[in-house]
Amino acid sequence: MASLAEATTRSEAAERPRVRPLIATLPAVAWLLAFFATPLVIFAVYSLLTNQLYAVGTPFTLDAYRDALTSTLNRTLARNSLEVGLSTAAVTVIVGLPIAYWLRFVAQRSRIAVLFLIAASMFASYLVRIYAWRTVLGSRGLINSALDRAGLIDQPLGFLLYSRFAVVVALVHIFLPYVVLVLYAGMGPLGDGLLEAAQDLGAKSSLLWRRVIVPIMAAPAFSAFVFVFILSAADYVTPQFLGGRDGVTLGVQIQQNFIGVGNWPLAAATSFLMLLAFVAVFAVGSFILRRLKLSDIRLSS
Amino acid sequence: MQGRRAPVPTAITIGALLFLFVPLAIVVLFSFNSTGSLTFPFAGFSTRWYRQIIESAAFRDAVVNSAFVGGVVAVTTLMLGTLAAYGLTRASTKLRTPIAVLLFLPLTLPGLFLGLSLLVLFSRVEVNLSLGTVMIAHMVYVLPYYLLIAVAALQRLDPALEEAGADLGANTWLVFRRVTLPQVWPVLLAASLLAFALSFDEFIITFFVIGADSTLPLFIFSTLRRTVDPSVNAISSLLLVITLALFAIAFVLTLRGSKTAGLSIDAEPIGGTAR
Amino acid sequence: MSDPASAGPRVRLRDVAKRFGEVTALEDVTLDIDDGEFVTLLGPSGCGKTTLLRIVAGFERPSAGEVLLGGDDVTRVPPHRRPVNMVFQRPTLFPHLDVAANVAFGPRIDGLSKAEIARRVDEALTLVRLDGFQPRRSHELSGGQMQRVSLARAIVNRPQVLLLDEPLSALDLKIRLEMEVELRRLHREIGGTFIYVTHDQREALALSDRVVVFNQGRIEQIGAPNEVYRRPASPFVARFVGDANVIPVDVDRVDDGAAEVTVGGHRFRTPASDVMGPAWLVLRPEVVGVSVPSDDRALRGVVRDLSFRGTGHSYRVVVDGVRDPVKAEVSGGSGIDLGATVDLTWDPEACRLLPRDLDED
Repeated sequence: MASLAEATTRSEAAERPRVRPLIATLPAVAWLLAFFATPLVIFAVYSLLTNQLYAVGTPFTLDAYRDALTSTLNRTLARNSLEVGLSTAAVTVIVGLPIAYWLRFVAQRSRIAVLFLIAASMFASYLVRIYAWRTVLGSRGLINSALDRAGLIDQPLGFLLYSRFAVVVALVHIFLPYVVLVLYAGMGPLGDGLLEAAQDLGAKSSLLWRRVIVPIMAAPAFSAFVFVFILSAADYVTPQFLGGRDGVTLGVQIQQNFIGVGNWPLAAATSFLMLLAFVAVFAVGSFILRRLKLSDIRLSS
Repeated sequence: MQGRRAPVPTAITIGALLFLFVPLAIVVLFSFNSTGSLTFPFAGFSTRWYRQIIESAAFRDAVVNSAFVGGVVAVTTLMLGTLAAYGLTRASTKLRTPIAVLLFLPLTLPGLFLGLSLLVLFSRVEVNLSLGTVMIAHMVYVLPYYLLIAVAALQRLDPALEEAGADLGANTWLVFRRVTLPQVWPVLLAASLLAFALSFDEFIITFFVIGADSTLPLFIFSTLRRTVDPSVNAISSLLLVITLALFAIAFVLTLRGSKTAGLSIDAEPIGGTAR
Repeated sequence: MSDPASAGPRVRLRDVAKRFGEVTALEDVTLDIDDGEFVTLLGPSGCGKTTLLRIVAGFERPSAGEVLLGGDDVTRVPPHRRPVNMVFQRPTLFPHLDVAANVAFGPRIDGLSKAEIARRVDEALTLVRLDGFQPRRSHELSGGQMQRVSLARAIVNRPQVLLLDEPLSALDLKIRLEMEVELRRLHREIGGTFIYVTHDQREALALSDRVVVFNQGRIEQIGAPNEVYRRPASPFVARFVGDANVIPVDVDRVDDGAAEVTVGGHRFRTPASDVMGPAWLVLRPEVVGVSVPSDDRALRGVVRDLSFRGTGHSYRVVVDGVRDPVKAEVSGGSGIDLGATVDLTWDPEACRLLPRDLDED
């Protein structure tokens, strides 16, 4: 009898196809098809056409892809992008976790205020942040002048600005608030009750972390990581202002190919190769994650 | 609920807050510097840079343009996004998945892609770049963010209320207008303010699809390349104030929206919240 | 209150069936409800009663069959165009409106004048005894008050049929009992047709003119409360309504008008019944007497459970040859302890026999 009730509600939800409301999505869908899907398709097609300097033409060719893949410059830049992307993602997630933890389990009256501050900092303008870090990290910026005044250094630290370090710092500044909020939201299931129940059942701290906290946090942490990785690896503005020579990334190159050099197929091909790399990273990461979580569950029984 | 003593996370949180706000504070600080220097020591207090940029016609044009674009984007996103969110949450069919994927996909692609592909589209159909093309691009960029909020808000509503409305004689449109909307309008308004802010501050995509006009971020960009004086700080500070003010309003609206519909925004209610 | 012009039943359900994929929620439901009746759909969770109510309301479409209201076929009519109104299980008051605006919701949509709306709202609130509550908001109301506002909101539209989906199940017992009295009074005053859904058989017996007992999507019995209680048509109804003992027995030797029933090695005679052979003996707990052993031919057993009920005692007696413990309710004092051996007795006229399939249980 109870199973009938269960089955009814379950299949009720599944079996009552209501298609008509979807009509409401039509305007948005049409807009995105026209101005998102179509441009991307055209862009993809461009990657297979011949370069005609700020234009493209037939014949169809794989030259652009070949050039993109064989160029040693691209390889260096790709490595830079990878480094910047992974570093930024890693730092934001690793730093973000204790902050989310603090918000969830330690904070009391200050929680709303800190949440507000963190969310507010997301709204600080992108360019303003880059500019701010250029000031702070510069040879006469905040850090160097402070260290100089304190007598700790004679020469300003050069690596602070116009380096991959500077790019990562600025990108972390940009993405940290977002990561903290995602992780904080992901901690929702970790209600006080759950942790106390686990402790009541004898779980020590380390066990608690491995068997309860990590599996629940793995998914939000992973999606935050991938999101930040993709956006920071593809960023082309931050490296321009803060990257110097060593900090040039693939995004900058793509932008220059398109606007500066006029080789549209190459820019397109590089873009799609980069996209492919992102998808690969996401797939590999998901795979690893699933493997880890599976083995976790098996061991616990 | 008790707070635990956890010195390390607390220290990291404080450090992070400093990390996030000190650089911005310095930008604001130096916008009031009486000399043209951007390095310590701070010379003296002056509003000359603000006066300088406010007098600049280019700056005023850029602000107006950004506001205009932002306004149009906010309004259109409100309309398209609310409809789409309604459709997504009220339909139950397998068709829903591909539509949702399409609508949320722009979130996953870096602005570089959106900007370049739109530029390609516009060149293909021989449309001149202008504020109009910027609006088109922003709407694509902003829509998924709006949807995230709107879908969550609509999903939290009690479906029984809509059934009650229908039972009492309201057709689909009336149910939406008299039952659904009154409960979610603060959140939707907050989401459209967010859309405005996102558009106002957008640079990465705008860079590719803008014509001769300038928006405020573009203006900052070009100023950054030309000059190295606190006028940039002044512009930046103004931009910060505007976007932070928008955020504060949206935040208050969201809190109020939760109360209207009887929901709670936190992951868990703070100890002591009466219900 | 309802439209008096149409002759015939107010609600007709013809061969209504509802399937959700593989699962059949309702089958072969045919039912007529007369104008002004208070009918309860009774059954355990998942038996389909709520689904049927929602079909009448228009929130579900039947997979087969028809629904007629006041003579009109409304099977395909959407809920907002049906002349019925529903009170839901959870109070579904609109949080953004005060009580008056909530109640005025339906009339407003009908486009009545402001004066007329106000008049009807006051009338409806007075009927549910909440006059003066107009400006209050839902968070200021208790559960019982919220349900009364829901009632007012429904009846203000003067529906042909009022549907109630377990409206009292979320309330405390004491409030529930008070609300039952209110509902009966309301029904008398309005004179409307009420269809009520509940799993609480006590409630169903107390409120209804007729009870429809559902089991796994099918109607097992329709009848007045008295009828369903005293003359259950099947073991299921017997067990569900009144929690009777339903004991497998054998009936034989119909002899000059009497039948002999064998139960657990004990035999007794009852007035003639049509039922022969394998049968079910239906004994309501309150007709079973429990006494100190005296007659060796009586049904004897051991008290396995005993609880005090205020008005008397409730026993569960394990009897050899009978699978389930026999339930007995005896008023007054006891004097019988847990574990004691006792005789069970009953008036042969007070029991009931039902035919039994050998593969049933």
